[in-house]
Amino acid sequence: MIEVIHFTKRYGDFIAVDDLNLSIGRGEVFGFIGPNGAGKSTTIRFLATLLRPTSGEGRVAGHSVVTDPMAVRRVIGFMPDDFGVYDGMKVWEFLDFFAVAYEIPRVQRKQIIGQVLELLDLTHKRDDYVNGLSKGMKQRLCLAKTLVHDPPVLILDEPASGLDPRARLEMKALLNELRGMGKTILVSSHILSELADFCTSIGIIERGKLLASGSIQEIQKRLRSHRVLRVRVLEAPERAAELLRAEEGIRSVEHYDHTITAEFEGEDADLSRLLNLLIGAGVGVLSFSEEPLSLEEAFMMITKGIVN
Amino acid sequence: MIFRDNPVLSRELLVNLRSPRAFVLQLLYVSFLGLMVYFAWPAGAAGAKQVSAGAATRLFDLFFLGQFFLVALVAPTFASGSITGEKERKTYEMLLASPLDPSRILVGKLLSSLTYLVILIISTLPLMILCFLLGGILLSEIGRAYLLLILAAGTFGLLSIACSSYFRRTSSALVVSYLIILPLAVACIWITRTDNMLFRDFVSMSVLPPWCLAIWTVLVILINRRLLRPPDVGSEGRDVVDEDQEMKYAIGVVIDRDLFPDKLFAPAKRLELMPDGTNPVLDKELRSEIFSQGTLMLRVVIQVSMLLSIPLMAALLFLKPQNSGYYVCYVLTFNMLVGPVFSSGSITQERERQTLALLLTTLLTPGRIIIAKLAAALRVSTVLTLLLCEQLLLAYGLIQELRDRFWFLFVYLAIILMTCLVTTTIGLMCSSLSRKTSVAMVMTYLVLLVLFAGPVGLVRFLEGFTNIREDRLAALTITSPFSAALSVPAYRAPFTLAATSAATNPSMLPPPDPNWIQLPFTNGWSVPVWLVFLAIYPPLCLGFFGITYVAFWLRWWKAGGSA
Ligand SMILES: Nc1ncnc2c1ncn2[C@@H]1O[C@H](COP(=O)(O)OP(=O)(O)O)[C@@H](O)[C@H]1O
Ligand SMILES: [Mg+2]
Repeated sequence: MIEVIHFTKRYGDFIAVDDLNLSIGRGEVFGFIGPNGAGKSTTIRFLATLLRPTSGEGRVAGHSVVTDPMAVRRVIGFMPDDFGVYDGMKVWEFLDFFAVAYEIPRVQRKQIIGQVLELLDLTHKRDDYVNGLSKGMKQRLCLAKTLVHDPPVLILDEPASGLDPRARLEMKALLNELRGMGKTILVSSHILSELADFCTSIGIIERGKLLASGSIQEIQKRLRSHRVLRVRVLEAPERAAELLRAEEGIRSVEHYDHTITAEFEGEDADLSRLLNLLIGAGVGVLSFSEEPLSLEEAFMMITKGIVN
Repeated sequence: MIFRDNPVLSRELLVNLRSPRAFVLQLLYVSFLGLMVYFAWPAGAAGAKQVSAGAATRLFDLFFLGQFFLVALVAPTFASGSITGEKERKTYEMLLASPLDPSRILVGKLLSSLTYLVILIISTLPLMILCFLLGGILLSEIGRAYLLLILAAGTFGLLSIACSSYFRRTSSALVVSYLIILPLAVACIWITRTDNMLFRDFVSMSVLPPWCLAIWTVLVILINRRLLRPPDVGSEGRDVVDEDQEMKYAIGVVIDRDLFPDKLFAPAKRLELMPDGTNPVLDKELRSEIFSQGTLMLRVVIQVSMLLSIPLMAALLFLKPQNSGYYVCYVLTFNMLVGPVFSSGSITQERERQTLALLLTTLLTPGRIIIAKLAAALRVSTVLTLLLCEQLLLAYGLIQELRDRFWFLFVYLAIILMTCLVTTTIGLMCSSLSRKTSVAMVMTYLVLLVLFAGPVGLVRFLEGFTNIREDRLAALTITSPFSAALSVPAYRAPFTLAATSAATNPSMLPPPDPNWIQLPFTNGWSVPVWLVFLAIYPPLCLGFFGITYVAFWLRWWKAGGSA
């Protein structure tokens, strides 16, 4: 659905994005992750036909971003990272404005605006002035605006930035709902946990270079070498630590009170062997679990160059 | 205390005076004046002492006039952005929340906006002294001139800062400052340039200074109050314009969108969805955004212009109907001031408010966006300007001499409408060429000044100091609607002896008429100035529009206007 082919963007001598390649399939939710200034917005604005590339090409639903921007605009809903709203407009007028700008006939508009307001839970704000809305509401309104022409592709630049935790959760739920509607979504963020739950694939970008991309499982597999094991024992944590230290594949072992943390490289079969070992040693295993690798840690590792 | 260690002052001075632009501007200004003196320098001065004395006075007067209007025009551009600029950059609340005393903020802003102007004025002192050496001017005259200039700079600067503290946008503050300052400037010049030396000195030495001081005091108190207790703008500075509220508490004229003539420029808000085929941008600009800065600016503009038009109507239309052209000039000046407000922000504001990306990813084509912006701005500017034409219609209804040539009313109206079109297109062009509304606006005023007022000033100068024939000079003024309006022979002079002698004596050639231009290559054909004016602007406007389109297309449509 979305393809970026050798996209490069330079500002003078500064390379904002360097030879980026991406491919996102239909119905996927792609999380575009990177620290501030990594080049996410640059890539996204390029896909939204707002930026001329220094070189490279982009395609959305088969249309070229460079040579056929109008066709691309028809199929995307774009939400910029920083946006303003018009003064003196009410919520419904704002949506009507964009609906007309997307050439939706009047008979359909009434219904669509109602539906979109309903979906984003803005119905009670219908007659409020847009300028008076809170940041979270504005964010939702902008998302509503991207949906008026029912685009199959959504391109959202940091939709949750600047929101409080509650609004963040709501935004997440909304994105989940949109995924359920079968839309292809490209969503960027500099906070990973935001995207972890509902993305089908992610790409990690830093300093204009795509460091890794693929489905969540793929990325995690590539991080297999860095599993973290956490064991709680009833007695003799020192001995348990000793035992673990002697095993193959275990890197470092630390224990604090009755909890032992070990870094480990290996398959699931090795894990179960370790568990058997500890139970056999009679240290009284209370819990034995693998720390799920958070995307944050994955991110830190990847950007530190441990992987790749 | 107020002056020393004033962080506002030192920051602004640093930023303003450090730029090479400041020096280049000063160089240009002084060399421009120097050239003027060079050309006006009486030739063969040795032989003609008396002539040179007259020339010196004329030159000195010209100098003073030029400098005075420079102050009137430039002081607002520096000062009216001083507080609105902080609001636009969202640093206003930070400044207010700091322990800085409002009076220190005020002094900092005032001095920093006027320092450069004062430097410009003082740098012309050597040229003034040169005029003095020609003889014929008293040293006290020069002192008086500089006193007036300094008074004017202070008053106009403070007025602009006051406007700046009352409005949210620089553009509103700028236009309202001009609207108040220009009549004051004209009045001041009028008073101080009478031939009665005694009266002149009396006024400029003993009347103006105390009045100015009184005005300064009032303004300082007003600004201080405003800075101490700013109106509640809500968190994040977001403010919603509540029209009902404004209507209830507004002083003076209220704008009622349901009533004629207000609905001509501010059509009522829609209650229903837009019909199919509407240009959404046009609809948005007229129905939603016209009051986006509050109604204060529009109300002040309407009130001040109406108030001024009454004495002008009495003086120029009813008492001396042969001066009807000057009333039209007033209407044109009004449009020149107010017209750009609505167009010069229309593209830059999308960018400043960060709505451009939203607009550009829709299916709207750049052509439709620009046409809508042009149409909306043109409509508001034209309606506001035409409101001042009522008086013209009234005069035509009541005064016989004007009615005798009633068809020239249509020429007047055509000139006014054409001017509306020109100011709006140029405003839009500057908006598409610049990044900030305030820059676009000043740029628009500059272009308009060069096109509209420049030729008139140039011709006055050449008339006074060279002996080129008047009808030759007229060709220079074709870009100015003022000279077009003044070239309209709307008034049928009552029967005079001169007219009869010319009629009965056809062999005597009539003197060349400065309102007619000889067309080149046509062996003696000539056309009135106003006709040339009306003929040259349509293609020019098309050109301006073309530039706007290309600039918009290149700078934003394709490149996306990323920050
Ligand atoms: N118009 C511009 N001129 C120069 N540099 C720019 C411009 N726009 C963005 N950049 C630079 O490009 C880099 C990438 O920016 P961006 O894509 O906005 O990052 P982010 O990943 O935070 O969205 C940043 O370092 C930024 O400073
Ligand atoms: Mg960004």
